[in-house]
Amino acid sequence: MSDHPKTMAEKILSRASGKSSIAGDYVWAVPDLVYLNDLMGPVALSVIRKIGIGKINYGGKLIFIVDHIYPPKDVSSANNIKIIREYAEENNFVFIQGGEGIEHTVLIEKKLIRPGDLAVGTDSHTVTLGAVGCMGVGMGITDVSAIMALGKNWFLVPESIQIDLIGRLRKYVSGKDIILSVLKILKEDGANYMSMEFHGEAIRHLSIDQRMAIANMTVEAGAKAGMIEPDELVGRFFDIDEEDLKNVRSDEGSHFAQRVDIDLDSIGPQIAVPYSPANVHDVKEYVGVRVDQVYIGNCANGTITDLREAAEVLRNRTVAKGVKLIIVPGSRDIYRQALKEGLIDVFLDAGAVISPPNCGACAGLHMGVLGDGETAISNTNRNFKGRMGSPESRVYLANTYVAAAAALDGRIIDPEASL
Amino acid sequence: MKGRVFLIGDNIDTDVIAPAGYLHLGIPALRDHVLEAVRPDFHTLVRPGDIIVAGKNFGYGSSREQAPAVLKDIGISLILARSFARIFFRNSINIGLPLGIIKDLNSVKDGDIVDYDIESGKLYDDSGNIIALFAGPTGPLSEILAEGGMVNFIKMKLGIK
Repeated sequence: MSDHPKTMAEKILSRASGKSSIAGDYVWAVPDLVYLNDLMGPVALSVIRKIGIGKINYGGKLIFIVDHIYPPKDVSSANNIKIIREYAEENNFVFIQGGEGIEHTVLIEKKLIRPGDLAVGTDSHTVTLGAVGCMGVGMGITDVSAIMALGKNWFLVPESIQIDLIGRLRKYVSGKDIILSVLKILKEDGANYMSMEFHGEAIRHLSIDQRMAIANMTVEAGAKAGMIEPDELVGRFFDIDEEDLKNVRSDEGSHFAQRVDIDLDSIGPQIAVPYSPANVHDVKEYVGVRVDQVYIGNCANGTITDLREAAEVLRNRTVAKGVKLIIVPGSRDIYRQALKEGLIDVFLDAGAVISPPNCGACAGLHMGVLGDGETAISNTNRNFKGRMGSPESRVYLANTYVAAAAALDGRIIDPEASL
Repeated sequence: MKGRVFLIGDNIDTDVIAPAGYLHLGIPALRDHVLEAVRPDFHTLVRPGDIIVAGKNFGYGSSREQAPAVLKDIGISLILARSFARIFFRNSINIGLPLGIIKDLNSVKDGDIVDYDIESGKLYDDSGNIIALFAGPTGPLSEILAEGGMVNFIKMKLGIK
């Protein structure tokens, strides 16, 4: 295919820019897809108005999707949704109303992206698309408006870090623990401006849901994109044959700036403690920490796999007195599937409240915001100071088993020891 | 330009700079909450021309452009840091807020009044001594900044008056 062995990021940006490129090159590239949510979409449209162009010069797929504050909690959030809906309808762009699901989850579920695509979203967790080998890059609203106005934008072709996964996950250990283990090594900026590429024989044992959990938090190490080498499973999901998948995967002999090895057999449940998702420890070091709230589900871990894991822990058990347990299916289809499997009954019997699919309290927006001095454990992706509400609150991040188990006694437990 | 220094640590994230709970209300609603989780007095002290001197990975986290936008809106005219998170870096240039990567830093204290020159990348104390060297934006980035940000840059490129 080319003169020079290329990483996935190099291949994708070479194709999207129409010019063979390697790490360190600046290119003008045309994304295959651009998507905007209800929090950023209205601001992007005000930037478009400021630029003063009449029509959009971007020729790719453009999607407006409502997920951050839905159903709207106040007049401003309702107006924001109205603004992007009217704009999308007037200009014949795809508009996905709230309730369908969280943007990154929906894009994968509905196959709106494909392996090898370059997608730009107005959300840093756009990297989640890397679960299926799509280069998802988060950008700010002016950058996205620039794509809409110019039809393209500039990209620095990133260096790549190779992360090699071997072995098998133990019971009560999931994709979340893989990415937390990586963050423990790379820290908050270990992949800043880089692409993280996951390889290794262990990948074939990981479901797409597990891969989403991994790709989702690559941005917590600063990554521009985080991609799992697409294999047969992804090929079947998208109906793509092996030859085409090979063109997406990195070439033999391509250059990686760094290599990290993770042996899945050696990792137990992990926990990121306040105030950084890269402040990662073994769960057993935090056993006994009291929690006021358990929050399950966002773009990292709101999948049917997560809901099954939560139900496994909560079945025939009840939440500790006074503890708030909030469960957020990532999409309408996931919600429906959970209903069919009886998981919603398990949650209701346990004393949980079920939220419609949205970004909710993960970013302190609504539906589960934390009060002064409160502590939460969550399977979401960020625990910055004040992230889920009060600047005086604290958030612990862990896999779904660990989060759900903490609801039973109102304290963090190690599922490997206590379930 | 002269201003006061706000000294701040490593990995200052965009949730701390611009808490998400106020994003849907727009920049004016964010003013009273900027950096509140780590510097509750910041929004009352900051004046036009002030600068932030930070550690590594400033602007870590979400893609929200409101983070640099509210800092600029409230008066910050330069951010110096050991390094910047990727999306924050792009966003700042795009909205016309200059950034500098610290190369050499003598003692700078919170509250110091400093003088600075972005083009030459120098920070001076009140007596005119150089106290820090930094790499300001160059090449296309300085062209975007010279236009006051990406919006004007695009207008110039597309020939829109």
